[in-house]
Order: sequence, then C-alpha cells, then structure tokens
Amino acid sequence: MRASTSNLLLIGPAALMVLALFLYPLFFSLVSAFTQDDLSFTLAHFVKVFELYSNDIKFTVIIVLSSVVLLAILSIGIAATLTLSPFPKLVAVLALLYRLPLFIPFIVAAQMMRTFLAKNGLMNNTLVAMGVMTPLETVSLLGWSGIIITFVWKQLAFSTLLISGAMAALNRDQIQAAQNLGASRLRILVDVILPQVMPTIGVALVLSTVTIMSVLSVPLMIGTGSPTMITADIAFRVNSYGDYHVANALGMVSYLICAGLAWFYLRQSLKDKGALS
Amino acid sequence: MAHLDIRQLQAGYGDKTILHDINLQVQKGEMIALLGPSGCGKTTLLNAICGFVPTQSGEVHIAGHEITLLPAERRNITMVFQSYALWPHMSVAQNISYGLKVRKIPKAQAHKRVLDLLSIINLEGFENEKVTNLSGGQRQRVALARALAVEPDVLVLDEPLSNLDAKVRLSVRHELKALQKKLGFTSLIVTHDQEEALVMADRVAVLNQGRIEQLGTPEDIYQQPQTPFVADFMGADNCIIYQASTPSVQLNLANAAATQKLALYFRSSAAELRTVSDRTEAGLTISGVIEQSAFLGQQYRHTLRSGDQILQADSRQCWPIASSVSLHVPPHALHVFDLATHETPPSFQSNSRG
Ligand SMILES: Nc1ncnc2c1ncn2[C@@H]1O[C@H](COP(=O)(O)OP(=O)(O)OP(=O)(O)O)[C@@H](O)[C@H]1O
Ligand SMILES: [Mg+2]
Repeated sequence: MRASTSNLLLIGPAALMVLALFLYPLFFSLVSAFTQDDLSFTLAHFVKVFELYSNDIKFTVIIVLSSVVLLAILSIGIAATLTLSPFPKLVAVLALLYRLPLFIPFIVAAQMMRTFLAKNGLMNNTLVAMGVMTPLETVSLLGWSGIIITFVWKQLAFSTLLISGAMAALNRDQIQAAQNLGASRLRILVDVILPQVMPTIGVALVLSTVTIMSVLSVPLMIGTGSPTMITADIAFRVNSYGDYHVANALGMVSYLICAGLAWFYLRQSLKDKGALS
Repeated sequence: MAHLDIRQLQAGYGDKTILHDINLQVQKGEMIALLGPSGCGKTTLLNAICGFVPTQSGEVHIAGHEITLLPAERRNITMVFQSYALWPHMSVAQNISYGLKVRKIPKAQAHKRVLDLLSIINLEGFENEKVTNLSGGQRQRVALARALAVEPDVLVLDEPLSNLDAKVRLSVRHELKALQKKLGFTSLIVTHDQEEALVMADRVAVLNQGRIEQLGTPEDIYQQPQTPFVADFMGADNCIIYQASTPSVQLNLANAAATQKLALYFRSSAAELRTVSDRTEAGLTISGVIEQSAFLGQQYRHTLRSGDQILQADSRQCWPIASSVSLHVPPHALHVFDLATHETPPSFQSNSRG
C-alpha cells in the first residue's frame, strides 16, 4: 500500500506534465472542433472543412502516401547497400552522406529546395549549362512534386538510420549462412533481412508520416498555394480569421489520417506475429 | 589428388595479415580438425575458405578447380556456425530447405530431402517447429542439416559444439562423427578443445599465430609434437630448461650431448613421484619439494619446486607437503627441444618416439 502511494508520488510530476501539456490541449481542441462559441454541440465546422478543404485533404493524403512509399523504397535500398555491399569505401561514403539531412531543420531544407527546384533554380540552370535542356523547356518543380522531394530528402536520413540500425543488429552469421548456401544479395535481402526488420520499417514509416503531417514550412515555401496541405490551412484559419473551431476540426482530420495509418500498421504487425507463432 | 587444396594462402582483414603461408591438402571424405589458441586465426581460415575473407595471395582449389576468386555464393562450401545462425522467422523445414530453394530444386524433391535429413539428425516430426523453440543441441543439428542439404563439396564447422553444455556436447559430437563416417563428407572442424580434435578428426592441424605448426594424425600430434608450442598446447605443459651443470636435474638418455642447453616438455600424467634415492635410470630425474597437492578424482596433482622451476606431477598417492621427492619421466614421454632452434635435435629423435 505504502509502496504504491510512493510510486504514485514518483510518477506524479511526469503524469502532470503529460496531462497539462498534451491531454488538456488535445481535449480542448476536440471540444472546440465540435462546439459553437457558446459550447453548444455542432457539426458545422466539419461541414465547412469538407466544403472548403476536401481537395486539400486529398492532396495531403496523396503527398503523405507517395512520400512514405518513396521513403520506404529509398531507405531500404540505402540500408541494404550499407549492410550487404562488398565495397567498404562506398559504404563509408554513403554512411556519411545519408546522415547529413538529419542536422538540417525543415525550414532550411525547404529554402534550399526552393532555390534548387525553381524554374530558374540551380538544377535547371545546371541542366541548361550542360546542354541537356534549353531555357524554354525548363519547368518548375515547385508544387506537389517539390513538396514530396523535400519531405523524402529530409526524412530519408531518419528512416535510413532506424532501418540500417536494425539491419546491422542482425547476426552477421545469418547473412553468411545464406550466402554460402548460394543466395544472391538481393535474395538475402528479401528472404533473410527484410522479414526480420519489418517492425522497424513500420515504426520508421509511421513516425515519418506523423512528422510530414505536422510540418508547416514545406507546403508554405514549396507549395503553389492551392491545393495545399492541411497544416497550411490550419495556419491560415488561425492567422487570417482567428477561427479556432475550423482549425481544430482540420486538426481532427489529420489526427484521423495518422490514426488510420497507425491502425493499418498495428494490424499488419499483429498479423505477422500471428503467422510466426 | 587432394579434394581441397590450399596453397601458400595468405589472408586477413584490410591491410592486416592474419594467415601466413597456409598449406593444407584435404582428401575426399577426410575430417581435419583445426586446433589452436584463441585469436590464432582458425575462424579466419574457415572464412577464407568460404570466401568471406578475401585472399591476399595463394590459391584454393576444390576437386581440381581453382576457387580463390569465386564469391562465397558460388563456392558450394557451407559453414556450420558457433552461433547456429538459423533464421528465426523460418520453420525448421524452411531453414533446412533454403539452399535447395535457392538452387531451384523442385518442391517435392526438396521436401523429401528435408524429411531424410530430419531422420538422419533424429529430429523427425519437427519440420514445422519454430527454430526458436528448439534446444541448443537441436538447433545445432538443424544447422548441420541445413549445411548438408545442398551436398557441399566441403563442410566447415566453426566450434559447432562450444555453445552446448558438457553432456549434450558429448552426444552431439558422437552423432556428428557417426554422421561424417556414414555420409563421408569432407570437412574441417575448428575447436579449441584438444580432446574433441583428437577424437573426431582423421588429421589435426595445430595453428599458432596464423601458421600451421604441425599437421598430422592425432597420435602423431599427441605423441610426437614437433615444436615446443605443440607440445605445450597438447598438454605437455611441464617445461624444464636443462643444463648439464644443474645438480638437481639428471638426464640419462642414450645419446645426450652434455654441452647442449635443452628444453624438456612432459605431461603431468607421465611423471612419476618417488622417494629420493641414488638409483640412476634412463630418462629425466628431478629432485624437489612438494609445495601443493590437489585432488582430481583419479589421482592427486602435485606441485613440485626444484630450484626456481615449478613442475606438476600426478600420483595416485597423496604426498605430504614439504616432503622431498624425486620426479621421474621415462624417455618415451619426454619431448626434447634445442633451446636455440626450437627443434628436436636429430640425436634425440629416437627418444621422443613413443
Ligand atoms: N573482422 C575483423 N576485422 C579485423 N580483425 C579481425 C576480425 N576478425 C578477427 N580479427 C583478428 O584476426 C585474428 C584471428 O581471429 P580469429 O577470429 O580467426 O581467431 P580464432 O582462432 O577463431 O579465435 P577464437 O578461438 O577465439 O574463435 C585476431 O587477432 C583478431 O583480432
Ligand atoms: Mg573463432
């Protein structure tokens, strides 16, 4: 009895912090999304959200899904190269390079991408100078493709770090055993490594999704205005109209998108566990 | 012609050379044990044969074909790992049949082979078991079956038994040897347990610092070590430096040259303790004082001091501490080396023959 009281006291401060800084605002925004100013229940904010922003919601979902798919392919590719490549020099260079974006904030990354991807940006200028394109043929990659490129570039470091860590933690003998039974590197990746690092890939992608859903600077700086991502809409509702109700309703929608992905991930990993046992 | 032929192999990690000038010829169906202290390069040698460690110079041939530069996946040499290295997400049958799947053997045929192997390793009925549910000994047998499933040209085993407890180790060792006799696979087994090497192998190679110090039958290695290192490593760990002038040490060998400075190695079990007498006898006789005795079950092991040298001798009888005794080693149990050359002087060679 005494022990449990003192345990409560010990976790008290931490629990209070969670309550005050996370649960209270969450609860508050939930209430705000479903009520009028006089606290009476209404769905009007959600009606407004779907009237005004259903295109932006679709846009956000598409951006998130394509970024995550690209992220998965690229980070598995890099992590696999780091784990299986027979060339130690290549591995050393790659291991250094892929980590760089970790240390660059989103807003700086967005600014860099802006100067890189614009119609007369660094990339197009280089292509023109090399004679690959004429100035008339250049297109601006700002817009949806630029947003995806920026998100993937920035999150690649993080998800590769997680995935290659999981691959490095596998016993080296397991890879060698497959190798001397005649398996090629690609087969080893598919048959031996991926099944064992699946849970980590899931975690990396879910965390990346949540990050992408919450970044404001990238859609603002690289997007073309309309359609744009939910974060930009929330900022607009708050800054231009002081309309917290609709902003909170939009927030609920992005919670639901994240929750949907998390549910998909959990169901998948439970299924895998079931298949194994 | 040798089945596996290793010529002047030199290999290591990066710029570091671990193996120097390894020459080893293994006949088809032969089992060779690699024996040596920790860090001497046993695992590195197996890795070089498998293709996991690049060769710096020298050649490796299998059945007349050179494989020095072939990547590991094209060598048809399989390894049994100390850590078993089974894939935890696959069942027993999936583990064993993986090599067959990679080689595109038809499913039915592969399944039959898995069942055959399971009965060979006495694990019938385990095919759908998760490998994580098996005991250490069972896992090692599955790993063995997985390596044998593809009928490798050479099977290499890296301390396959060292993760097992003493009893299981004996039974798996016995099974492994029986299996090797029955199936006749060519194999190299690494161990640092000398008994394991002597019992299992047709020939034993003793490695020291990346070189083969001696290669021979278990009897050869045990009874006629060619270097002080091999003598010491094979249990003749009593070493006494002999000079004709030391009064407490008497060496009576037919062909002793009195001027030489010699290193004499012998096993504690080959030494005999007696009360001091003036009797002269062929062999080595040392007088000393008992310092300590320990009960080993079959006999007592005594620690004896003679001058500044400490020696060990076994005796069925427990000699009292501080008693003066004389220690006698018969000529055939003595391993004699010239201190300058670390070789057995030619005139002594007949003595060390058992
Ligand atoms: N991956 C590696 N990179 C660099 N040096 C290594 C590597 N693996 C082993 N070595 C070095 O090679 C030498 C031989 O190692 P090896 O693993 O072959 O020894 P071993 O005879 O198998 O020893 P043990 O009985 O302890 O397994 C050691 O000095 C070790 O430091
Ligand atoms: Mg080793």
